[in-house]
Amino acid sequence: MVDLTVNLCGVELKNPVIPASGTFGFGREFDEIYDISVLGAVATKGLTLEPRVGNPVPRIAESRGVILNAVGLQNPGVKHFIEHDLNWLRAKTRVIANVAGATLEDYSEVCRLLDGKVDFVELNISCPNVKCGGMAFGIRPESVEEATRAARAALEKTPLIVKLSPNVESIPANAQAAERGGADALSLVNTFTGLAIDIERRRPILANGTGGVSGAGIKPIAVRMVYEASRSVRIPVIGMGGIGCAEDAVEFLMAGASAVQVGTRNFTDSLACPKIISGLKTWCENHGVKRVSELTGALKLK
Amino acid sequence: MREVLATVLENIRIAEDVFGLTFATEERIPVRAGQFCMIGTGDLPLRRPFAICKAEGERYTVCYRLKGAGTRSLAENYRQGEKLSVLLPLGNGFSLSEKEKKIAVVGGGVGVFPLISAIRAFAQEKEIYAFMGFRNRAAVCMQYEMQRGRELVLATDDGSLGYRGTAVQAFMENFNRISPDAVLACGPVPMLRALKSATEGRGVPVYASLEERMGCGIGACLVCVCEKEDGSRARVCKDGPVFELGSVRL
Repeated sequence: MVDLTVNLCGVELKNPVIPASGTFGFGREFDEIYDISVLGAVATKGLTLEPRVGNPVPRIAESRGVILNAVGLQNPGVKHFIEHDLNWLRAKTRVIANVAGATLEDYSEVCRLLDGKVDFVELNISCPNVKCGGMAFGIRPESVEEATRAARAALEKTPLIVKLSPNVESIPANAQAAERGGADALSLVNTFTGLAIDIERRRPILANGTGGVSGAGIKPIAVRMVYEASRSVRIPVIGMGGIGCAEDAVEFLMAGASAVQVGTRNFTDSLACPKIISGLKTWCENHGVKRVSELTGALKLK
Repeated sequence: MREVLATVLENIRIAEDVFGLTFATEERIPVRAGQFCMIGTGDLPLRRPFAICKAEGERYTVCYRLKGAGTRSLAENYRQGEKLSVLLPLGNGFSLSEKEKKIAVVGGGVGVFPLISAIRAFAQEKEIYAFMGFRNRAAVCMQYEMQRGRELVLATDDGSLGYRGTAVQAFMENFNRISPDAVLACGPVPMLRALKSATEGRGVPVYASLEERMGCGIGACLVCVCEKEDGSRARVCKDGPVFELGSVRL
């Protein structure tokens, strides 16, 4: 019997597999395909104080091994989520509320509204697709720390995860800045800023111009960044970036992650998360690993 | 909604640049007219949305035009017996009320394929008048499926077959004679715009199936939105793909 549970900031997850924010809505649609209570947690679509309509279409493009998206934080607003979706989702599994904003006050207010109602808040200071969508806060260590501090002050009961951008000078510097600001955990990586061109029209494919790159092709970069982050802080790290199967998840755990998020793969196989959960169990069984948490940081360099 | 590994039964050229792909699932999955599926194409990560134009037992047919790398990969790599990653059935599909009896079906280009499922579904209980537009004679296909209704007018842009002009023009010339209770439509945005403005104020609902680049296909990722007349956004994959044409901004 393999123990798949992981403890994240004192909260137990039944397994370390979490669908990533923006790829899973609030879980209702995927629950029509499989019972999402099998998941370790769900990271919600990014929530803002007021509803947002998002960017014009097309919002998605692709290239070999990767996709680009520029949805632009379309969401019904945090209050609508709390009223209509939260109780349903909490009855299923742990809830990670992803929080976005344009100002520090936005972040604080959304955090205050969610405090004590969700299992975690994941601070999105790394959305590349909207002006003032948060990435401005995610680039420099000083502003990472400032945004983290603001969210931290607004949260009395709920642990705070800070989601880091990969589009930065130094992952360790930003990871440490979030830790100094009071983060209870980190998650990374958000998407890489990219550009896909329609060569017939000589224009960007995405209406937004640039978009966030995700998918299998970014995995080695993401693993390296998770490794760098986890070595530079004492708080737990949630790893993501191109995970498509259980073996990919094991790589992130070995690099230092305590749990993983799965994003783009949900689009190409709607059963990706349950498959990764059962695959993790099988992998551990076949490798004599009794507890999946033993794999965290198991990477040997020599 | 089911995530399945289907088996390709046939994947062949049925008109210039158009392929017909028939696949089978292990069990029968009920599909309504106008619903669609997402199919993995092999080379590129994103699955492609295709209208299910025929569903018979556990066999389903979609038709697609060779347009980019995804459809080319689908045409080249999936021969009979190959496994295909499919998510189905998706979207709301076409629905008609009891009172809507005389139905005009107006399609252009690959937009004719979702409408074939509607003709198949409603041909028995409704009076179907179909107006199907193509670029030219070489692009015409599945004529036998479109003929199941009461009337079929084929239109080609160059007049190489049937009516010379667009499906919308052919339809509007016959509008008063038919006096339809409802219109089902699918086609390129310029066609839908023309249909919207031609039918505005005539008191006939137009149910149009829209197309958009999609991510998940089930309503979770908010990639494929369209704008409603009230300024809100709707998900083409989940709230659609069929919308009352008057309710959306094209």
